[in-house]
Amino acid sequence: MNDIVITGRRIVRELLIFAGCFVSALGVNTFAIIRFRTEWKELITTLHITLAVAVLFFAVAAFLRVLVFCCKHFTSRRAA
Amino acid sequence: MESNSSTVSTSELSGREHRREFLKRLAVVASSSALLADLPWWTPLRAAPVGDSPADRVRLGLIGVGTRGNLHLDNLLRTPGVEISTLCDDYPPHLDAGLAKVKGAKGFADYRQMLEMPGLDGVLIATPLFLHARMCLDAFAAGKHVFCEKSLAYSIEECQAIADAHRGSGKVFQIGHQRLFSPVFLRALEYVRDGRIGQITQIRAYWHRNGNWRRPVPNPGPDPSPFPSLERRLNWRLYLDYSRGLMTELASHHMQVANWFLGAHPVSCAGYGSINYWKDGREVYDNVNLVYRYANGTQVVYDSLISNRYYGCEIQIMGPKGTIEGEVGRLYAENPPPAPGIVQLINGIERGFFDVVPISGPSWVPELKKDTKGSLLVHGAISDDGSMISMAAFANAIRSDKPIPGMMEQACRAGVCVLMGQASMEQQREIAWPEGFRI
Repeated sequence: MNDIVITGRRIVRELLIFAGCFVSALGVNTFAIIRFRTEWKELITTLHITLAVAVLFFAVAAFLRVLVFCCKHFTSRRAA
Repeated sequence: MESNSSTVSTSELSGREHRREFLKRLAVVASSSALLADLPWWTPLRAAPVGDSPADRVRLGLIGVGTRGNLHLDNLLRTPGVEISTLCDDYPPHLDAGLAKVKGAKGFADYRQMLEMPGLDGVLIATPLFLHARMCLDAFAAGKHVFCEKSLAYSIEECQAIADAHRGSGKVFQIGHQRLFSPVFLRALEYVRDGRIGQITQIRAYWHRNGNWRRPVPNPGPDPSPFPSLERRLNWRLYLDYSRGLMTELASHHMQVANWFLGAHPVSCAGYGSINYWKDGREVYDNVNLVYRYANGTQVVYDSLISNRYYGCEIQIMGPKGTIEGEVGRLYAENPPPAPGIVQLINGIERGFFDVVPISGPSWVPELKKDTKGSLLVHGAISDDGSMISMAAFANAIRSDKPIPGMMEQACRAGVCVLMGQASMEQQREIAWPEGFRI
């Protein structure tokens, strides 16, 4: 059985991707506040929803990355 | 009125600790209400805590130990400073069951003998409606304080007689409308007074059950009591000689709340009733529908039936800014604060994905009932609907030997109201508030 090694670099990369997702979720929240003319304090009070949206974005991103990885893997094997 | 933290809970306490804790909580409830000026019957609850001296003890007798009487008995047994010295019931199984709960209490079959007992401070009357007036009058004549179950009396004349007898007697009178002491209804009143729903423009109340309203009769047959049969004695609510049915037994509660919140009695009422389902020999209506008109133009719409319970029991106090539902204890704002922007955005996306796009549909959809949960009037569990606190208020009022202000007014308004409704349905015409009725 092979050991799976998660490098520090990999962890940093995932954290950066999640941070990107969180910033995007914050952007969505900002858009919603402007769009529905609600209060700016919602940036803080709905932080839990923003976090949930960020997790959703991260999951979508992960799915896309797996898809890209599979495609690349498949094409490289065929080329070989 | 403070919220749940100050409501009276008795379940987890016992003995001396129970009494002290109970009094402490009661004092908090009574003194924290910003509405005390509107709630004079809460005044006795502000009295000093009951001590253990014999002078602090209030000796009470209970007339009628049936279903409601039993509940009062249980509450009295948990009320500080109360001694239940006598019980009275002319139905031996009820009396025996009551006496088994109270050690040392004397039992009577005739309430008049009970009233002659020395040392008895007051009586609680929990008997069939047609007996209320004569028992109240006899009790006042015997110099006793009186707690009478709702509805006040069988006829408007009897209501007047009780009010007249009470006036000048100097005795405490209390009516069994426990919502007067309910923390939920006190909070509702507070919200109405501070304008949260705006002016009350309509009150709608209903009480729906699905059952024949009959009690099982163990041995039907001749009965030595004023009733011609045991069936009539136990099911007195179904016969017009003893009760006015849904009006006096159920509607009186909600009509009391309506009068209380509107601060007035109705000027007239009109309605219809019939027996359209339970055609089993009963004499009282099994469905009633009424409208009460008040001087300020507000109407109270009331209906009750016992062949469908989907809507249950509720009183809805409506105004331009919101609706209060007293039984579920919720406030529904007409224009609730909007959901956070991100929630609105997510809901919008969700609707775009999952909602059916109507090609054509009913144009009244926006008019259908709003599916909002509202907000709770009082948070947390409430272990008392007011029945327990009302016992403490009665005992405290007797101890201070001062009549409870406003109580007879509440009793008469509600009692007369339901009798007006009954008369309107029987005579199929509008009935006006009795002119010259004096409280």
